[in-house]
Amino acid sequence: MSYNWNWGIFGSPVPTGDTTYLGWMLSGLQTTILLSLSAWVIALALGSLMGVLRTVPHKGLSGIAAAYVEVFRNIPLLVQLFIWYFVLPEVLPFGLGERFKQDLSPLAQQFLSAMVCLGFFTSARVCEQVRSGINSLPRGQKNAGLALGFTLPQTYRHVLLPMAFRLVIPPLTSEFLNIFKNSAVCSTIGLLELAAQGRQLVDYTAQPYESFIAVTLLYLLINVVVMLLMRVIENRSRVPGYIGGK
Amino acid sequence: MITIDKVSKHYGSFQVLTDCTTQVKKGEVVVVCGPSGSGKSTLIKCVNGLEPFQAGAITVDGISVGDPKTNLSKLRSRVGMVFQHFELFPHMSITDNLSIAQVKVLGRSKDEARDKGLKLLDRVGLKAHADKFPGQLSGGQQQRVAIARALAMDPICMLFDEPTSALDPEMINEVLDVMVELAQEGMTMMCVTHEMGFARKVANRVIFMDQGRIVEDDAKDAFFGAPRSERARQFLAKILQH
Amino acid sequence: MNYEFDWSSIPGSLPFLWEGMKISLEITAIAVVVGIVWGTLLAMMRLSPVKPLSWFAAGYVNLFRAIPLVMVLLWFFLIVPQVLRGAFNLDPNTDVRLTSAMIGFALFESAYYSEIIRAGIQSVPKGQVAAASALGMSYAQAMRLVVLPQAFRNMVPLLLTQAIVLFQDTSLVYVSALADFFGAAYKVGDRDGRLVELLLFAGAVYFVLCFSLSQVVRRLQKRMATV
Repeated sequence: MSYNWNWGIFGSPVPTGDTTYLGWMLSGLQTTILLSLSAWVIALALGSLMGVLRTVPHKGLSGIAAAYVEVFRNIPLLVQLFIWYFVLPEVLPFGLGERFKQDLSPLAQQFLSAMVCLGFFTSARVCEQVRSGINSLPRGQKNAGLALGFTLPQTYRHVLLPMAFRLVIPPLTSEFLNIFKNSAVCSTIGLLELAAQGRQLVDYTAQPYESFIAVTLLYLLINVVVMLLMRVIENRSRVPGYIGGK
Repeated sequence: MITIDKVSKHYGSFQVLTDCTTQVKKGEVVVVCGPSGSGKSTLIKCVNGLEPFQAGAITVDGISVGDPKTNLSKLRSRVGMVFQHFELFPHMSITDNLSIAQVKVLGRSKDEARDKGLKLLDRVGLKAHADKFPGQLSGGQQQRVAIARALAMDPICMLFDEPTSALDPEMINEVLDVMVELAQEGMTMMCVTHEMGFARKVANRVIFMDQGRIVEDDAKDAFFGAPRSERARQFLAKILQH
Repeated sequence: MNYEFDWSSIPGSLPFLWEGMKISLEITAIAVVVGIVWGTLLAMMRLSPVKPLSWFAAGYVNLFRAIPLVMVLLWFFLIVPQVLRGAFNLDPNTDVRLTSAMIGFALFESAYYSEIIRAGIQSVPKGQVAAASALGMSYAQAMRLVVLPQAFRNMVPLLLTQAIVLFQDTSLVYVSALADFFGAAYKVGDRDGRLVELLLFAGAVYFVLCFSLSQVVRRLQKRMATV
């Protein structure tokens, strides 16, 4: 087998000439990171809200949150992505779909669909983590908050959620990692994130190994950085004298 | 101060409280005892609306607890409660535990709440621990902080739900001492507890519950002198063996 | 909303979609079996006192869990077949790409199974191994006869839940051009210009299957909790 290794390929200009293959790779990395972070914001906000709703003493609200989780957990991510990207613009009312298709650049359409899709998909998982965090707190904590005269929202805000979030940092870390990995699925709608750039390099150059190795290493790097970051957050938020948070 | 009138409660088909009637007058100390599962904790939680009930009425300072129009949060902010498992907030320092509700519920300034909290902390003998976190204190210390936290709200009465039953024996007295002092100062108190020594020392009345009913409701001396029911006699005999 | 739904292309394509579903189920079945067998071996290596084995297993699991499934499938679809062809002088006409993608998928899922199984093994009290050794069993016997049966009993719901996740993951073989259920639905939609309907249909089918199975798992969990 005679393969010509050529790591210099990343320095060569791309066919269009405006950047190098390294430039492609880095722009893919940038898209992956931007996409994952913005989707994570959605997931955290929506997931926390739903997680709280699942635990409130109101059948209707907790039922809605439960149904929400089931829908987003039982349909494959790829199918959800295609529905957000191909179906939703067709069926959105009030001409919103037309405006989405006409006023936005293809890149913006891909990015928005991918972001919303990843955000909602992950929010269902965040919801379950937040719920289990709240449920794992002693029942007396809620009573203690109420007995001091806190309203139910105040009890969640000052008593239950601060502790619940500390408890669920480890599982949320793995959801945070998942969102970066899942973002690779978005290459299927043509979004040029990291995995897609890697594949593009295979198509354009004769150096598939270099390209895939580089992409894989970049995903590993993201993994390591996120884990270190979350470890810092976990240490910062550790409660003195409290064991069992881990 | 507290009136409980024909209160009944059930979970599904399981009857937890049946026709409970009693009252606690201003300045009175009432001890509620009885075997586990007799409904005493449930009854005391009904008083500040932590447990809903299906029949009867409870009023605190003339305000009906069961009335849906009652602002329960406001009522609860005037009724202190101490729990079996302390229920300090583990993520907050002792000082913050003492001041958070004063600030967020009563609208006091942070400084005022802090001063008040520290004063009460001093009173329960824990001023040196102000900047620690609950997990760094012993059970007895945590419970004393919990009492101070309730007192910081300037309650019109205090509810104690088995305040010493989660404590190691050597820590029980430090908590009881605080409670005795409180009783002697004239605080209105309703205490679910098995500490008969405490009852003998400061209680005005003792209520004995069994299977969701109030079986005895007597002045202290009458209760310890000659309980009328067989169940109460057996219960006292068992307790005294320890 | 001015989109007019037209579901008429679905009934005629059901046989084709069913072929796709069979492939999805087949991939799921193979990956679950490989995943559990290889995952168990990995878990035992990870927990074994032999350091190189434990390092290998840890490296394997952490590597596969750190990279996206899409990347793994692309590796095994585009790169590995070339390597194999070069290494074994395969006839250029034999297309090993699909087999390779399948293997990649199974190897990927094994990493996740291995973590579940490791937790399951660790949930069996240490005293059990001690008791087995005291009876004269070897480490392997203790594992096979005492620890693993208990571990698997506790793990059944988790293994099934992972199988549901895995079934959903099979839709990603789309990137390697395997004609699974989702690929089939997409093809029909694309051919008839009815992508909207076919995607919604595919979503509904996945939902019904996964939701029902997850309800079964939940019931199983409840029953096990009460035993």
